[in-house]
Amino acid sequence: MLVAGLTVIAVGGVLTAVLRTFLTGIALQATGVGITGIAGFWALGAGTATGDGFTNAFELHFGVDGLSGLFLGTLGLIGVPALVFSSRYLQPTVRGRAVGALIAPFMLALALVVCARDPLSFLFGWELMTLLPAAVIIIARADERRARRSVFTYLAVTHLGGAGTWISVLLLAKAGAIGNPAAIGSGSGLQAAIAVTALVGMGTKAGVMPLHVWLPRAHPIAPAPVSALMSGVMIKVALYALIRVLVDWSGPLPLWLGVLVLAIGALSALGGVVYAVFQHDLKRLLALHSIENVGIIVLGIGACLILREHGADTWAAFALAAALLHTVNHAVFKALLFLGAGAFERAVGSLELDRLGGMLRRMPWTGAAFLVGAMAIAGLPPLNGFASEWLTLQALLHVSAYGGSAAGLAGAIALAALAATAALAVLCFVKVVGLVLLGPPRREVAVEDAPVPMRGAVVFLALVCIVLGLAPGLLFGVLVGLAPWSTAAPTHVGLHLSGTGSLPTAGIAAVLVALSAALVLLRGNRRAAPAPTWACGQMIVPALRWTSAGFTKPLRLMLETVLRPQREISIRAQDGVVQEVSYSGHVPHLIDDRVYRPIARLALLGAAHARRLQSGSVGMYLAYLIGLVIILLAAARIGMIG
Amino acid sequence: MTAQTAAAGAVQLGGLALAPLLPGLVQHWKARLQGRRGPTPLQPYRELRRLWRKSGVTVEGASAVYNVAPAVVAASAAAAVLLIPPATHAPNWGVGHDALALAGLLALARFALGAASWDVGNGFSLIGASRDLTISVFVEATLILSLAVAALVAGTTDLRGIVAGTSGTGVWSTPTLALGAFAFALVVVAETGRQPVDSPDTHLELTMIHEGPLLEYAGRDQAYLQWAAAARHWIVLVLGAQIFLPHLANAWWQLAVLPAALSALCAALAVTETFVAKMRILLVPRLLAVAMIVALLGIGTHLVSP
Repeated sequence: MLVAGLTVIAVGGVLTAVLRTFLTGIALQATGVGITGIAGFWALGAGTATGDGFTNAFELHFGVDGLSGLFLGTLGLIGVPALVFSSRYLQPTVRGRAVGALIAPFMLALALVVCARDPLSFLFGWELMTLLPAAVIIIARADERRARRSVFTYLAVTHLGGAGTWISVLLLAKAGAIGNPAAIGSGSGLQAAIAVTALVGMGTKAGVMPLHVWLPRAHPIAPAPVSALMSGVMIKVALYALIRVLVDWSGPLPLWLGVLVLAIGALSALGGVVYAVFQHDLKRLLALHSIENVGIIVLGIGACLILREHGADTWAAFALAAALLHTVNHAVFKALLFLGAGAFERAVGSLELDRLGGMLRRMPWTGAAFLVGAMAIAGLPPLNGFASEWLTLQALLHVSAYGGSAAGLAGAIALAALAATAALAVLCFVKVVGLVLLGPPRREVAVEDAPVPMRGAVVFLALVCIVLGLAPGLLFGVLVGLAPWSTAAPTHVGLHLSGTGSLPTAGIAAVLVALSAALVLLRGNRRAAPAPTWACGQMIVPALRWTSAGFTKPLRLMLETVLRPQREISIRAQDGVVQEVSYSGHVPHLIDDRVYRPIARLALLGAAHARRLQSGSVGMYLAYLIGLVIILLAAARIGMIG
Repeated sequence: MTAQTAAAGAVQLGGLALAPLLPGLVQHWKARLQGRRGPTPLQPYRELRRLWRKSGVTVEGASAVYNVAPAVVAASAAAAVLLIPPATHAPNWGVGHDALALAGLLALARFALGAASWDVGNGFSLIGASRDLTISVFVEATLILSLAVAALVAGTTDLRGIVAGTSGTGVWSTPTLALGAFAFALVVVAETGRQPVDSPDTHLELTMIHEGPLLEYAGRDQAYLQWAAAARHWIVLVLGAQIFLPHLANAWWQLAVLPAALSALCAALAVTETFVAKMRILLVPRLLAVAMIVALLGIGTHLVSP
């Protein structure tokens, strides 16, 4: 079934490239990825491995088990709406067809990584997964210099960091530890080296701070369906690899590694959301929120590692399942938000927050679905983001309860960081909802709701958000079973776990909806005639409307010492009369400015010096070669090598 | 269902009705402390009655979000009241009794009110909403940490279990809960919108935090929002009384002493408001940062204690 699905994707991809069969191709791709997804969820439900098992040999082996199934299922869940969306979003021009056709190999590469059972095909898929989105962006934005620069940054950073993936996978294969955690002793230096290199390599691809620089550059410039796949699935596949290495293929890791993972998670969660709050471009804001949510998932993984080291196996499995549940949830609502943003951009022609407005009334279907997605990512009950954030909070609290004093305190600090992250996400998405969906339109252009396929895609994802919010327990119970140690899985619709007050998600939803409806009915509809909003008798003119920068000003002032925002006001006056006031302000990205810019400068400086070695004369190169041979011979002579 | 559970359920329903009495009491005592006669404790009910008779207003260009927000705010406050057990026993109204779920319900109310402010586009509402949401970042972290202190002592995040696990008159004899109580006290002040974080008596729009987003509402909508503000007093004060104040282990005694404990906490709020001035809003995070550090210290003392 899986093979059939993947074949259909491939055929669809080829057909998409041809003008006459563009729509058929997209439809075939959607069918294929749908079948793949169903096969994935089936494998997850069955819980048994099919196909080959893991091998350390460099021969091609493919197979599926529960964990691979979950990520294949997520690929299907996001891929189908993204493709249905692109059937109208992409124009059947040469460029649109090329982008549409490249989606097929991109999805195949993602499936390859999760189905690979040997190091060779895993690393091959990993590289493809990095290169294909770069190709898509280059094609879609061929005429923009800045886009090309961003793609270069993306490739440079992911390849430098990606070296970590190669090292850790090759070390694993050398030790014979792929699929066999017993091959490496717990607490050995080799185990730590593998874990740290995996954290660097796969963390770069997943976009954890401080290795995230490529993410807020690359995600916003991709076409909406590709952004949805990148944010929804690609960075999740990197987390899949991380979970494989840290949880599946290792015994209990030393405590400091668990605390390190926790620290990285907390930094990504808080850092991602703080910088997201100050963005004025919708897609860039969403990209930074991906860093935040990856941080939340990594917090869950860190909690799992610490709890496992302390032998609290039940809660270790719960923490892992919390991370996996948030992975699925984030894939769904982030894809929804990226597709919604794509629809708004198509309708209004801009994604600058201060130029949208009133989309809920102008595009009721897309707008309502976007509202659901915004509430879900803000972690509000009764939607899916709330359930998995609650689980992660519980996991961190149990780190404090079972993790001993040092890790316990780390767990408590991470707990506070996650609580603050959730509140910051609420702040950020109140701003987004207010500026994009509500109020009067900030730019008067004729807008009508998106065409039916685009609308259907976002509404479908919104429904998934609601269903996963009402019955997270059904998926959670299956995910608990994915831990390599056996744990009794709870089987409830809500989340009833020992040691917690339980989260009856359906009950909370029912109470909230019933009470709200009753209160609306009780209020009746006696209202005075419409009047303009009250502003001390002032006229409300568009220039006086609140902006994104205004709403976040209190936070900017409070965090001034940390963020060092820049602002500039210049007033041009003539004969004592003010002619023009111009204001500009932005929050610089500290990690970019303080860490990467000096590194990039040093690298360029080093390259400039190194260039002198490349004189271009053959004699010089021969001299280099002879020198190298002499050094090697000398080294062999004194016994350093050989 | 035991008699204790039924009685606790009755107290919860009573809490829905009696919540406005709490801010009434604070205002009454505050006036007395300041040498004024002041309104009776029943003043909030009079205001609710007056508002209930008035018609609502429609703002030009506002969408359904503006219309539904007050009901959502009141519904999430009511759900939170039903989530808080007033004793070690409480009926399950369908929302469970989890301490961390409480934060989600409070966040939902803030989201609804903030979105409504954007919907009408009123600058004063938005000033209030942006400040409220900004301060809530620090409040939520402190709330979760102080509840975590109690949860670690009790070994569960079930609030009924926490009430049972912290019972006894020796609550303050261990540093853990005493530090947690200090942190939670600042959460109470911030969440109820009282000095030094916010001034509930202000009539100057530019200084408003919690009152700001209420400006555009009238009639029954406004009544819902004012009731929800009173319900927030109930939520945090009942938690404070049954977790961080000394309380007995027996559920009957817990219910019997609750009115006295709530009155004492209201009096404490009145005294604080009389002696402490409102602080600059930009300094509020420092105050709450102190509370967070204190709560972390509390967790630390728990972790190192044998």
